[in-house]
Amino acid sequence: MDLFLMTLTTGIMVGGIYALVALGWVLIYKCSGVLNLAMGEMTLIGAYVSLSFYSMGVPFLLSMLFMLIIGFILGILTERIFLDRLIGEPVLTVIMVTVGLSFFFKGTLEFIWGTDTRSFTPPVFSIEPIRIGPLVIGQVYLWSFVAAIVLLVIFVSFFKYTRWGLAMQATADDEMAALSLGVSARFVYAAAWAIAFMAAGVGGTLLGNINGLNISVGYLGLLVLPVVVLGGLNSVPGAILGGVIIGVLQNFCGAYLDRYFPGGVKEIAPFAFMAVFLLWKPYGIWGWERIERV
Amino acid sequence: MSTTFLPCGEYHESYREDHAWWQTRFIKAKMMLLVLILFVGIPLAADSYWLSVCNQIGYTALGALGVQLLIGFCGQITLGHAAFLAVGAYTSTLLILEFPWPTVLMDLGLAYPISIFIAAIAAGIWSVLFGLPSAKVKGFYLILTTMAAQFITVDFVITQYISQIGGRGQAFSLPPGTIRIGPWVIDSDLKVYFMMIVLVILFTALVANLLRTRVGRAWVAIRDNDISAEVMGINIVRYKLLAFFVAGFIGGVAGAFWISNLAAISPEHFPWFWSLWLVGVILIGGVGSLHGVIFGSIFMVVVMELLQMAVLPLATSYPKLLMDFLFIKEAAFGLAICAFMIFEPNGLAYRWWQAKNYFNLWPFSY
Repeated sequence: MDLFLMTLTTGIMVGGIYALVALGWVLIYKCSGVLNLAMGEMTLIGAYVSLSFYSMGVPFLLSMLFMLIIGFILGILTERIFLDRLIGEPVLTVIMVTVGLSFFFKGTLEFIWGTDTRSFTPPVFSIEPIRIGPLVIGQVYLWSFVAAIVLLVIFVSFFKYTRWGLAMQATADDEMAALSLGVSARFVYAAAWAIAFMAAGVGGTLLGNINGLNISVGYLGLLVLPVVVLGGLNSVPGAILGGVIIGVLQNFCGAYLDRYFPGGVKEIAPFAFMAVFLLWKPYGIWGWERIERV
Repeated sequence: MSTTFLPCGEYHESYREDHAWWQTRFIKAKMMLLVLILFVGIPLAADSYWLSVCNQIGYTALGALGVQLLIGFCGQITLGHAAFLAVGAYTSTLLILEFPWPTVLMDLGLAYPISIFIAAIAAGIWSVLFGLPSAKVKGFYLILTTMAAQFITVDFVITQYISQIGGRGQAFSLPPGTIRIGPWVIDSDLKVYFMMIVLVILFTALVANLLRTRVGRAWVAIRDNDISAEVMGINIVRYKLLAFFVAGFIGGVAGAFWISNLAAISPEHFPWFWSLWLVGVILIGGVGSLHGVIFGSIFMVVVMELLQMAVLPLATSYPKLLMDFLFIKEAAFGLAICAFMIFEPNGLAYRWWQAKNYFNLWPFSY
């Protein structure tokens, strides 16, 4: 029972981080219709940037802030240089450009920072675990979860209550109508990429705090795909719920199935689950079902 | 894009001529020259290094052929083709190493050819298995299931289970002399080259002819609009699965061929990167064109080799460059794909077509 509870809490906490990254993904898709496969590398960029600042002696929160600024700039640059020209192109073209971007980012990152695992030294969060009744939770997980939740709340309220956020929502809902009401679509696209970069960066930094940072953390960024498929491609609450579900599922598979199928069950389970889930409910839990007309 | 203008003064008198592959005497001579270059010229002229580059090109082309069939002709986007290459390679290797071959077959040297065939069938069936979702989902969702194919096959089944067969652990090593076709032991780049060139020509011709049949037209119809294809009476599920089978079959052949060039195979030979690389090859070559497969393969492999040559002299002063060449290659590949998608979305095959037409109509371009 203890194992069950522990796995559940860890899953939910990691799921919070996935939800944050997935939020960025959904945002890009909702606003500009781009299916982004470079999310893993975007998390890596953010993580490496904040790690570099942190190891230079900048306080953690400040280095996070610098990372957000750099992520914002990179997001706008990426959108302007690469994706702005592709509006209205076929899906494969856009997807492959994001694949190309992911290779470009990854190669550059590996070239600059190498492939060795780096960790945040000194550790940002105390290693001493927190005990709540029978539960033992690592502080890293707890704080990451709290940070993820805080950021999720900030992002969601940004969309609900600010002018920019409303403009982005309007564009996502109906681009033509938003354009005719004076919303600049190009601005919205750029803002979506900037926010996605920032969200991914925060997610990457938190993930990097848990197990140290190397290129394979980018794989966790790929996990965003099962998450968004589960929640529905264009649903923000779906991304959050999907993140938590995938986090829990992954940890349960690691805890219970690993002895029957030794090896990488934990890494594969979300994708296997996704493949089966797609057959049953391809539009996810809260995604829009698209009715095709000829 | 498929129609090429005939040169001035050429006309056809029968349907037979109209459907011929090589329509003019000039083209026939050109193709004969090409065959001559491929079978005689390159083996005589190239040294071992360039032969290995050619083999790399051939392997890429064989792998990309299946991807082209799926993406370019049937419209089913796949980002997990390396999985089927891996299935082919592993099936073939396991058959050669573990299967108790009757001595008659061993003496005749048929073990490898038979294993290639079985490997191709196995890869085809595996591919159909992961193509099954295409009956229900398409577009981005299908991309995700093919990605799942990659991770499940290579990172899980092969790495964790298949690699354990025979207690070898990580890699299967192929002792020299195990790979032989008939009396020839495939042990040098030259022999691999001949095998490669035969396979590439065979399968390119096969796919090219397949595309002219009912099956090929059905695929193209599905690619262009699957709903209207269905309305026209095409059983789209069957044809989609058939496309997956043929693509997997060719992938299996490619994988089984490639073990002749490797001393040992391990899951690292079939990473997700390789799946994306194959898609990149057809995007750069041109989607929906068989020329594109060849051009893309040549372009990608040769450019990467040239990049390596450019890096080598620099490496004496910056040793980091050589160590990190893999990363430079990755970044360059990414940028190349982005650049082609943005500036040259029709790929190299389109430029080739333009050039050909220009000279066909020369000097009067009408």
